Amino acid sequence: MNLSHTPELLDRLAGAYALGTLRGGARRRFEVLARESAVVRAAALIWQARIAGLNELQPAALPPPAVWTRIDNLIKGETGAQAMQDARLAAAASRAPAQGLGGWLQSLPLWRGAAIAGAFATVAAVSVGLNLRGQMGNEIQQLQAKLLATPQIEYVAVLADDKLAASMLVTFDPKNRRLTLQRVGAYQEANDRSLQLWALPPAGGPKSLGVLGGDRVLRLTAAEGDVKEVPALAISLEPKGGVPSAGGPTGPVLFKGALIQKLL
Amino acid sequence: MNSETTDTELITLLDRVANKDHLALKALYDCCSAQLYGLALRVVSNREWAEDVLQDATLNIWRAAGDYRASLSPPMAWMGLIVRSRALDFLRRRKAEGSQVTQELDDTLAQTLPGDAPNPMDKALASEQAWALHQCLGQLDHGPREVVSLAYIRDLSHNDLARQLRLPLGTVKTWIRRGLEQLRLCMARFA
Repeated sequence: MNLSHTPELLDRLAGAYALGTLRGGARRRFEVLARESAVVRAAALIWQARIAGLNELQPAALPPPAVWTRIDNLIKGETGAQAMQDARLAAAASRAPAQGLGGWLQSLPLWRGAAIAGAFATVAAVSVGLNLRGQMGNEIQQLQAKLLATPQIEYVAVLADDKLAASMLVTFDPKNRRLTLQRVGAYQEANDRSLQLWALPPAGGPKSLGVLGGDRVLRLTAAEGDVKEVPALAISLEPKGGVPSAGGPTGPVLFKGALIQKLL
Repeated sequence: MNSETTDTELITLLDRVANKDHLALKALYDCCSAQLYGLALRVVSNREWAEDVLQDATLNIWRAAGDYRASLSPPMAWMGLIVRSRALDFLRRRKAEGSQVTQELDDTLAQTLPGDAPNPMDKALASEQAWALHQCLGQLDHGPREVVSLAYIRDLSHNDLARQLRLPLGTVKTWIRRGLEQLRLCMARFA
C-alpha cells in the first residue's frame, strides 16, 4: 500500500501513531513505511509536534521551594566535582619541585588551634602537588597541604564559603572510623538551625554524614565506605536537628570543598 | 499573542544555560517550573514523585541545553517533551520495582474526569502549536477530550484506558477515533 497516495488515511495513521494508540504490528508497519517514505515521515513528525502540544496544556502547579534548592546543590556539586577532578589530574601531571614556604606562615595562627603537628619537610612538596590551578585560593591549598602532612589522617577536606574563606576542617581517620570536624571560621548558625555535613558522591544524591552541634570540634563515626571515592563534602544550613539523608539538603549550602585522600 | 517575545527570551536563556550559566537556569526555572511541574504531576499523579521528576528533568535540561537549537522546537515544547519522557521513565522504573502505580492513577483520574472545561492555559508561555491544539480540543466533548489527552500524557493503550477509566473498550476506541478525527479536521485549518 502506498500511503502517500491516500493522504486522509496517512493523516489518520500518523495521528494515532503520534498519540501512541497505534500499537503492536500496526505501529511497526507504520514505522517501516515512514523510514521508506519522506511523505509518511513528514506526516508523523507533523502529528508528533501537534500532539506534543498536550504537554503544554496541563494545569500549572507551583513546586515546593526545596526542589530548586536540591537542583541548585546538585549542579553546584557537579560543577565543583568536575573542577576538582580537573585539578587533580593537573596536579598529578605536574608534580614539581617545592617553591618555598612563604605564604602559609600567614595562616599559622589559624593552625595552632587545629592541633595538627605538621611534618614540615613534606609540606612544601605537597602544596605544589596540590596546586589546584589557583581556583581554591592560597589559604585552602596551604591548609590542605598541612593536613595532608599529618599522620594517621588519610582523608582531609577544607570546607570554604563562597568567598573561599576556610570555615571548617574535616579529617577522617579510617582506622578509628573517626570523622573530625573543626570550625575555624566565625560562622555561627542561629539557635533554631543546625549545620549538616554531606558527602557528595560522583553518582547519586548527597548523603548525610551527620549533624553538627554547637561545639567547635565535633567527632562523628563514619564507615570508610561513606567517605572513600567521594570527591567533595558540603555543609548545609537545615532546621534544628538536621533533615533525613534520603531527601538531600533542603537548605542552602554554606561551605564545601574537595575531599582528598592522603597519598603518602 | 505575545508568544514570539517570550519564545525569544526562553531561547536566549537556553543558550546561556548551554554555556553553564547558573543564573540563566534559575531564571528559566522561575518562569517555567510551574508549567513543567504541573505536567509531571499529571503524568505521575503523586506530588513527591513529580518533584523528583522535575528535579531530574531540570538537570537534564541543564546538561542538554546545547542540543536545544537543533530540535527546531519551540522552547516550552522541547522542555515539555523532556519532562514527559522523564516522568514516563520514572513510572516505568516504579513498575519494574513492583510498586503500585495504577492505584495512584485511578485516584487522579477520578479527579480529572468530572471537570468540563478544557484546562485554562497560560498563553504567554505556550507555543503556537499548543494554542491551536487547545482551540481544537475545546471543540471536543469532554469524554473524548480526556481520553485523547490521557492516552498521550500517560502513554496508555486502548486497553489501559478502558481498564483505568472503567469504561467499555468500545467506548474508548470510539472516543479516540472520533477525537483524533475532529482534531485532524480542526488542526488542518491551523497548518
